[in-house]
Amino acid sequence: MATTHPILEVRQLTHRVNPGNESLTILRDIELAIETGESAAIVGRSGSGKTTLLGLMAGLDTPTEGAVSLDGEVISQMDEDDRARMRAHRVGFVFQSFQLLPSLTALENVMLPLELASHPSPAHQARELLERVGLGERLQHTPRQLSGGEQQRVAIARAFAAQPRILFADEPTGNLDNDTGQAVSDLLMALNREQGTTLVMVTHDEQLAERCQRRFSIEAGRLSEPALAAGMEVDE
Amino acid sequence: MRSAPAGWFRKTLRDWREREVRIVLSALVVAVATVATIALFASQLQHTLVTSASAFMAGDRQLEAENGQPVPQAWRDEANQRGIATARVVEFSTMVYGGGRFQLVSVNAASDEYPLRGQIEMQATPEAPRRQVSAGPPPGEVWINPRLLRLLEIQIGDAIEVGNRALTVTGLLLRQPDGGFAMSALAPRILMHDTDVPSTGVIQDGSRVEYENFFAGEEAALDAFYEWLRPRLSPSHEWASIRDGQTLSDSLRKAERFLLLGGSLAVLLSSVAVAVASRQYALRQRDTVALLKTLGQAGPHIARGYLARLTAWAVCGLIGGILLAIPLSWGLSLLISRLLDQPMAYRMDWLALGPALATALVALFAFAYPPIRRLRHVPAMRVLRSQPGETGQGALRDGLVALIAVFGLVWLYARELELVLALLGGLAALLGVLAVMGWCLMMALRRVSGGGNAWRLALVGLYRHRRASLAQMSVFAMTLMLAAILVLVRSSLLDDWQSQLPEDTPNHFLINIAPDAVEDVRDFLTERDVSLGRLYPMVRGRLTEINGQPVRQAVSKDEEVNALNRELNLTWMEALSDNNAIVAGDWFDAGQRRGVSIEAELAERLGVDVGDRLGFTIGSETIAEPVKSIRTVQWDSMRPNFYMVFPPEGALTDLPATWITSFYLDPSRKSVLNDFTASFPTVSVLELDHIIDRIRDIVGQVTQAIEAILALVLAAALVVMAAVVSATLQDRQREGALLRTLGAHQRLLTRSTMMEFALLGGLAGLLGVMAAEVAVWALQYRMFEGAFRWHWPVLIAFPVLSAVVLSLFGRWQLRPVLQVSPMLLLRRLE
Repeated sequence: MATTHPILEVRQLTHRVNPGNESLTILRDIELAIETGESAAIVGRSGSGKTTLLGLMAGLDTPTEGAVSLDGEVISQMDEDDRARMRAHRVGFVFQSFQLLPSLTALENVMLPLELASHPSPAHQARELLERVGLGERLQHTPRQLSGGEQQRVAIARAFAAQPRILFADEPTGNLDNDTGQAVSDLLMALNREQGTTLVMVTHDEQLAERCQRRFSIEAGRLSEPALAAGMEVDE
Repeated sequence: MRSAPAGWFRKTLRDWREREVRIVLSALVVAVATVATIALFASQLQHTLVTSASAFMAGDRQLEAENGQPVPQAWRDEANQRGIATARVVEFSTMVYGGGRFQLVSVNAASDEYPLRGQIEMQATPEAPRRQVSAGPPPGEVWINPRLLRLLEIQIGDAIEVGNRALTVTGLLLRQPDGGFAMSALAPRILMHDTDVPSTGVIQDGSRVEYENFFAGEEAALDAFYEWLRPRLSPSHEWASIRDGQTLSDSLRKAERFLLLGGSLAVLLSSVAVAVASRQYALRQRDTVALLKTLGQAGPHIARGYLARLTAWAVCGLIGGILLAIPLSWGLSLLISRLLDQPMAYRMDWLALGPALATALVALFAFAYPPIRRLRHVPAMRVLRSQPGETGQGALRDGLVALIAVFGLVWLYARELELVLALLGGLAALLGVLAVMGWCLMMALRRVSGGGNAWRLALVGLYRHRRASLAQMSVFAMTLMLAAILVLVRSSLLDDWQSQLPEDTPNHFLINIAPDAVEDVRDFLTERDVSLGRLYPMVRGRLTEINGQPVRQAVSKDEEVNALNRELNLTWMEALSDNNAIVAGDWFDAGQRRGVSIEAELAERLGVDVGDRLGFTIGSETIAEPVKSIRTVQWDSMRPNFYMVFPPEGALTDLPATWITSFYLDPSRKSVLNDFTASFPTVSVLELDHIIDRIRDIVGQVTQAIEAILALVLAAALVVMAAVVSATLQDRQREGALLRTLGAHQRLLTRSTMMEFALLGGLAGLLGVMAAEVAVWALQYRMFEGAFRWHWPVLIAFPVLSAVVLSLFGRWQLRPVLQVSPMLLLRRLE
């Protein structure tokens, strides 16, 4: 399944924001390449710029300098609509705060990306995925009626719904207790393997990071890949 | 006590930082401002209209004594003591001598103060320009009807003798403000000073004299004076205010009602805005309350805290609203006063602010308080985990309380039970239709499955948010219904007024045409291309008996029937006039000689039905006829109208009659009148063009006022919609950001959002306008006395406009979602 050309490539990426009149550099000269099917973790302290990097790599925003290529296309030069099209078909997301729509049921939340990708039978596909994450009995429940762990499982089902080539996860267990976090990360890893998706996650959970094939650390806007982690495969 | 005003103010300032509080307060300010503006403006308009209408009767009130006795001086003194200005005119007929001839004239002898309102139109010589003056001739002088110059063959500056007194003719009397409608003055009129009357020696005991007294002052003072006066009046006294007159008062009453309707709708709309925003506020406060409870505060303590907060908001909303209303109403008054002959000073009517105060209190405590009060039931457990299904609790009861409160408020405000019931009926119909429509809609939408297509996404969105969609649609539909009611009533009101006085409304009356001159008059005018209306014979007589009983006994004392106090114009005709309609009984059969047809309102007040026998005294004759039919009469049609109509060859035929007719004369052809009066010196010409113009002016002013009120209410409706839309702003933005993250491109998002809102708006508009038709149908007949008709332009325009406006709202709401990167937005909304 894995090919040799990198599915995600970041070249000379620098990102600055302008709060007030000052220019603040969040990310500096980031270089990164992830191969198809790989799983990678980016660890760092709060405020180190890891979530910003994730957003830039996923095409949610454009960097001040440098280039991001996703699946062979330079997304940092695309306009917003092209990036949206790219996200709809090839990218999945899991957020720390789940980001489920409160007025929609679990089923409807999972159907959203399928509908946007004009899937022929979104309800069917969504139901299957929810059963896969163990929520087959909770299809008609709204997020408010679900626990944190259940909500994150809905979010994971949604992330995999459109069968993305690459999945970005932002602190997927950050809002969950240890046991629930463990169960959610198991699910994430399992689905990732089953679907052959590339996984890029941002976390400060060392345990979770160690379950990824590659591990990067970010500090004061600079990314490094500690040698011991490179190429290592950790699994249960 | 710590809750000093400063503390309250500080708290409110802190609350202001919360979006929902800003909306509640804004809605409250708009509510108070709208109601206060309308109330202040209505009071000013009322004053303006009363003043301009009063000009038609030379005062705000008239008291006429027909018993030949002057009104006691004590009554006038009482009025003066109450700050009411008084004036007096003595009316009698007598022969005057001048140029070697005698002529019967109708004399008006006026006091210095006459006219209290309006002006006298006169000319110094036949060639001089017409002038408006605010007093009659001084003692020793007289102004005469131009016809008298010819009849007596005298010149300006000559003297005429009125009884024993010689008076110098110093002007021609063209028009008195109160002379418009009185048809009794058949002889040419002269105006002199009332101090000259005793020296004429004309008025003796038993002379037929009428004493007209005029009063002008503040409405409240006039009403209080009337209360004082009423027990002292005898049946021969006739008290009249502009509201009792026919033509003008109808327009005024309708305008007043329209303003009340507008104000009531503004109250409803603003209450809706307050309700929506405060419900949203309560929802957002649940976490805070749960936290406070966790920290050890008891439910009642928390409830008291929120109550204090609401009170502080009420004070701020009231002050803000009134500060806004004062310049607004002043501006509106300026607009209106430009249309008046004389500029009017702006009066600040503090009493008019009462409804605004009531609105603020009711809006807050009936609409905002219930959801906030329920906050104390929020479980502390919520801190750990939100409980499902806790949002809808007690909503029905709240709704009921709110409904009762607001209708109480509208009733208090408009004092029209019909209005309240019509609104309530319209709302009930609307809610019923909404429930059915909503259910059908959701059933239909369920079948739509989503896709990348904007339409499908919009439909799916409507279904997915069905609770919110239905709630928003209800509020929009209600808002639009209220606005549509006003638009519909306004258009039919204006149409009504316009059709009441079309371009060719007869503006001249010919009275006192002798039977043998009828043909000549007709020929004369036809030759000059003046199209003459129908000619009616006229016999003057009193209604004296009903079913053989004297009329005074037959009619209960409580009823004040003016028609009984004076001679009526009786007529006969073969075919019913255009502007009359039979409501009971039948019109006379061909060849029928017995029977009488009576006007409907008079019949009702007299308690007369078809078959009752009415007895009349005409000169020295008496006749009695059974009522054959009851007719409605359009009194403001500017055509000869009669209370009593007899069949041709009927009871009246042999009695001495004169004829009357009306016609339209273009202002450019006034010279025809000179020829006419030269040819027919005994025929009286009544020029009503001036009055018709004045009515048109007033209708114009009222129209402007109505447009202004309409604009205000539409603005209030817009605020409601903005409040409703922004209540879900955050959720919608979060959803937009998420959809973008999941790959929805901007155009799809924009289109589907705009379509969703357009659908919502279109449906709400359609439902609202349909419900408005139901309410207007009820209102129209009872309150504005117009006929029901469908209003296709409004039926089409409203849904379209509301769809457009709402889709623009939707687009506006989406703006931050499109401008900011989705990542930033998600973080911001977390």
